Amino acid sequence: MQNMINTQELLDLYNLANNKTLLSYTGIFDGQILSVIAENIESNLAQNPNASRKVFKIFLELAQNISFYSTEKQTNSKGKVNGMGILILQEFEDHYSCSTGNMGNTEMLKEVIKKCETINILERDDLREYKRKLRSLPASAKGGGNIGLVQVALTSGNPLAYKIIPITKTDSFYIVNTKINK
Amino acid sequence: MKDIIIEGSHGKNFIPNVKFIAETGVCELGGESYLEDTVTFYAKLLDWLTEFKETKRPILFDFKLSYFNTSTSKSILDILTLLKKHENEGGQVTVNWYYDDEEEEDVEAELEDVEDLIIETGLKINLIPLEASDDDDDDDDFDFS
Repeated sequence: MQNMINTQELLDLYNLANNKTLLSYTGIFDGQILSVIAENIESNLAQNPNASRKVFKIFLELAQNISFYSTEKQTNSKGKVNGMGILILQEFEDHYSCSTGNMGNTEMLKEVIKKCETINILERDDLREYKRKLRSLPASAKGGGNIGLVQVALTSGNPLAYKIIPITKTDSFYIVNTKINK
Repeated sequence: MKDIIIEGSHGKNFIPNVKFIAETGVCELGGESYLEDTVTFYAKLLDWLTEFKETKRPILFDFKLSYFNTSTSKSILDILTLLKKHENEGGQVTVNWYYDDEEEEDVEAELEDVEDLIIETGLKINLIPLEASDDDDDDDDFDFS
C-alpha cells in the first residue's frame, strides 16, 4: 500500500484545492482535456459572460504554454507528446483568479520572467505595441506567436503575478497567476 | 485551382470554418481557431492564396471568427501580409472583419486586435457588426465590377 496516497494526504490536498476553487486540474495538457476544461469554464461562469469569455481566453493561452513548454512530458494514447502541469481557477467576491504551474528549464524561464516584468510595467497602448513587435518576430519552434502572456495581460487588464522556484540543477517550477475582474 | 472547404468543429481542438472559392476569389475564415498545429493548418491556406495571387484576380476575404488564440493571430497576420502584397502588386483586395457587437467588453478587445492587425500590415480592413450585416451565404453575389 505504500505506493498509494494516504487518506490524510488526499484530504489535505482536497482542502487545499477546495478553498474558493471552481476548478483544479493536474496532469497532461493535451487537446482533448483542454477542450473539456474550456467548455466547463464557459458553462460554469455563464452567469457572467464577459468574465467567462476572458477566463476562457486566458486559460487557453496559459494551457497552451504548458502543453508546449513544460519539461515534464507525457505521451497520450495517440502518441502525441504534451506537457504536464497544474491549473487552479478560483472565484472571489469581485474577481476570478487563474493560476497555472509547470516545470520548465530554468534558463528559459528567466527569459519568461523578464517578459512578465516588461508586461507589468507597460501601459495598455505600449503593451499592444510590444505585442505587435513580438508578433513580427519569427514563430517559435512550436508555432507559437510569442505573445501568449502579453495577450493574457491585455485580456485580464490586470498585472501578472509570477514566480520560479528552483527544483533541480536545470529545472524550476514556474507559477503564473492573473486576476479577472467580474 | 481547387476550392478549400473545411467544416469547422468545436471538439478536441477548435477548427475554423474555411471556404476558399477559386472561381470567385471569395474567401471566408470563420468560427473558432485553436489548433494543435496552427502552422501546418494555415500553411495550406497560405499556399492557396499565394497560388491565387498569381492569377492577378480580385480577392474578397471575410473574417467571421468568434475566437482565435495568439498562435492563430500570427497566421492571420501572415494572411493579411500576403493580401497586402497582392494589393501592392496591383491586385484588388477587399477585407471584411465581421464582429459580434452583443458583448460590449469583448467587442472592445476584438476591435483592438483588428486595429493592431491594420497597423501591422497597412491593409484596409472593413469592420462590420454581425447584426447589421446581411445573412450568410450571399457572398457569392459580391460585385467586383
